[in-house]
Amino acid sequence: MKIRTTKPNVPEVDMTPMIDIVFQLIAFFMVITNFEQTQADERVKLPKNELAKPPEVKREHMLTLNVGFNRDDNGRKLHEEPRVLFNGNEILIDDMRKSLLTERRFFEAIEVPLDDVTVQIRADAEVKMGQVQELIQLCQDPEIQFVRFALAATQEVK
Amino acid sequence: MKIRSTKASKIETQMAPMIDVVFQLLIFFMLTLKIVEPEGDFSINMPIGKPTENTEDIPLQPLRVSMKSNANGDMVDLLFGGTSLGTGAEAFARLNNEILKATGSAGEAAKDQEVEIEADYNLRYEYGIASIGACTGRMQDGKLVRYIEKIKFSKVKKPADQP
Repeated sequence: MKIRTTKPNVPEVDMTPMIDIVFQLIAFFMVITNFEQTQADERVKLPKNELAKPPEVKREHMLTLNVGFNRDDNGRKLHEEPRVLFNGNEILIDDMRKSLLTERRFFEAIEVPLDDVTVQIRADAEVKMGQVQELIQLCQDPEIQFVRFALAATQEVK
Repeated sequence: MKIRSTKASKIETQMAPMIDVVFQLLIFFMLTLKIVEPEGDFSINMPIGKPTENTEDIPLQPLRVSMKSNANGDMVDLLFGGTSLGTGAEAFARLNNEILKATGSAGEAAKDQEVEIEADYNLRYEYGIASIGACTGRMQDGKLVRYIEKIKFSKVKKPADQP
């Protein structure tokens, strides 16, 4: 008996709706992705304030100092003294002089007056006010002499 | 002459490579996505050792805000010009009102008026930011009504028990 061989009938899948959705997803992720290189450190939990607004004019020269704690999985602080999380290092506030001097020399080398440099302090909500003030005072040291300061906070939506 | 009509042959586009690339892009964007809360900052005016620009003008006395804390860093008292405003969120609301009264009309920031914040060493930074916010102004219909532009800290006083 002769057996007739038939090719299997492959059903054509309509890809259009899937491609539509995938493109929409890509567009969504592209729009919300922040490509800007921020110097924010995730270990720092900033305090919240309704009035904390980004500056109207973008600052050209900024030095960001993250002040925070290393925490365990439960969010407990691993040390009492906060660290300045700076260039991948963890430095005690009192030991920041050398790093700040290096930054000062960098701005001098690129001929940026220190009056144009804003030191943005991103301090954890649990850092003591006195320690933040000590850091500001260190930045104002006669050898360093940064002038402009900004204290960062997360924008609270009410 | 008879013209033979021929149907144009349909060119089938290869969708598979495009879908591969599109999925790779999708995975890349999904993995690199970092949700960041919107951030802002408050400018602090700390002109240590600099002379005043107009020496002829008598400088305005800064409004003084003091914050007292306990050993844990919690705020136990908020004072405006020596008057206690209490504790908690209500104290900062009261401070906001007092600043408005002291500076006059809202909407026009007192350009020369300065606020000096004196905080106990142990006070947590979140209270410092709350007081700076209360002095800066208030939000009205999504817009910032600024009361004060110049905010500074008084000199830090380290308690005796601190290393």
